Amino acid sequence: MSAPAGPAPPAEPVAPEQRTIFAMGGGGFTMEPSNPLLDDFVLSLARAREPRILFLPTASGDTTPQINAFKARFQGRTCVPDHLSLFRLRETRRPLADLIAEQDILYVGGGSMRNLLAIWRAHGIDKLLIEAWERGSVLAGLSAGAMCWFEWGLTRSSGPPEPLEGLGLLAGSLTVHADGEPERLPVWLSHLREGTMPAGWALDDGVGLLFAGRALERVVTSRPGTEALRVDAIAGELVRRRTQPELLGSRASDPLGGYDEAVEELRRVNRLRRGTGRRRR
Amino acid sequence: MPPRIPQIVALGGGGFSMERDGSLLDDYVLSLVDAPRPRVCFLPTASGDADHYVVRFYRRFSPGCEASHVSLFRRDQGTGGVEADLAAHLLSQDLIYVGGGNMVSMLGAWRAHGLDSILRRAWRRGIVMCGPSAGSLCWFEQALSAFHGAPRPVRGLGLLPYSNCVHYDAEPARREEYQRAVAEGMSAGFAVEDGVGLHFRGTRLERTVSSRPDGRAFLVERRGARVREGSLAVDYLGAAGRPAGPARRGRASAGSGDSRRRAAPEKRVAA
Repeated sequence: MSAPAGPAPPAEPVAPEQRTIFAMGGGGFTMEPSNPLLDDFVLSLARAREPRILFLPTASGDTTPQINAFKARFQGRTCVPDHLSLFRLRETRRPLADLIAEQDILYVGGGSMRNLLAIWRAHGIDKLLIEAWERGSVLAGLSAGAMCWFEWGLTRSSGPPEPLEGLGLLAGSLTVHADGEPERLPVWLSHLREGTMPAGWALDDGVGLLFAGRALERVVTSRPGTEALRVDAIAGELVRRRTQPELLGSRASDPLGGYDEAVEELRRVNRLRRGTGRRRR
Repeated sequence: MPPRIPQIVALGGGGFSMERDGSLLDDYVLSLVDAPRPRVCFLPTASGDADHYVVRFYRRFSPGCEASHVSLFRRDQGTGGVEADLAAHLLSQDLIYVGGGNMVSMLGAWRAHGLDSILRRAWRRGIVMCGPSAGSLCWFEQALSAFHGAPRPVRGLGLLPYSNCVHYDAEPARREEYQRAVAEGMSAGFAVEDGVGLHFRGTRLERTVSSRPDGRAFLVERRGARVREGSLAVDYLGAAGRPAGPARRGRASAGSGDSRRRAAPEKRVAA
């Protein structure tokens, strides 16, 4: 097996439709320690056979439990996992620009969206992540780590839910934990009605939106019975559209025995779609 | 309430978070507060609001003080200490204690929550501000941040119109790096070893104190083409706060086998 250290990915920007963001309303290793469906889906999005995946726990204040959960989930999988703690930068010897540029996947944890963006900006990480996206690295994240990619998110960083501007790579607004934190939804809807936030999505825990460029490509979930709610304001009226996400791993009769196969299939489809033509083994 | 003069105690390292018997510096800071049961609020932002740090703060301060903390990361979970009006809470304190960690991350988070302007107001009102490491650097105009990669000057809140370098004794290269930064245009300022605190009244250095018999601090400034490092007189807090005489210093140095250059405590800085 080749060593993890290798040449950095090409610095050329990829076509807009090859830029990938996977935004989760909740779920993944921090919230679903015994359900790897979303995290395996994240790995399947990378073009590399053994993707480098960097976890950014910034929004939590780089808590050790989040970092340990990341390691527990990804260390045994076909990837090269690492994390970047902006509160313990002494552990990171290399320039941040190099570290981020060489990643295939950048996975952003949940927590305070306000702190996340402010601390990224203080360190110049926001620009590095946007460049990584433009070069074709996958941006993934849940909760604050999902809302940050949109024009607007609904954050509870200061207690009560309130709108906060994100990085704006994706159009519209996102609110998360729609089932787990039901107090968010009415606040979000009233902002949409008043025009103080743009139209967008409310995602249950476990639901993820996959974007190719700025276009929504797939809606998936790790949990049965969850949904994605799309709300548009048309002539002052809110128009709601509920989407049933595809349940990851559901193609097999035995969900645990089958998901590997499903993920493998997704990876094959991805490789074909992206035209890399590389095959496993 | 009579107007109180702004005060900052900038610790090069030390206090409850960094010293096993870290009571000397903390006691000194508390002695500046004129209240039977001081209200003390802890800001652990620079550590990412690390739980263990918050616990140690309460262990140290809740016995004698009205202790509280503000977590900027846990406000959504209702475990952020103070939840309601941050400004009203912070402006009603006697002492604001800023924890160590990453100063750049801390200032970013502070600005996002408006804490930078609240802390400026708190300082002007005479609420005593203190902290080690990042909790020291943040009050100055510029700081030498060695948190990642090569040390570089970063901007602080600028309440004190100097530069600051902490953990001056921690790494051999630190002294050289700070002096080079000052030579290259960083404002003159204070280099402080672990266990040493700079006490400012207004923007004037009032006193330099230490929890260690041999703690040192320096004024580093440009003089023409050269950089001058002048020792500050340091008061050892271990003997009822009496200024440390040369004899005790000598004993401490000899006892610890310390062969570092020891400048005479000749210079009291009026800043």
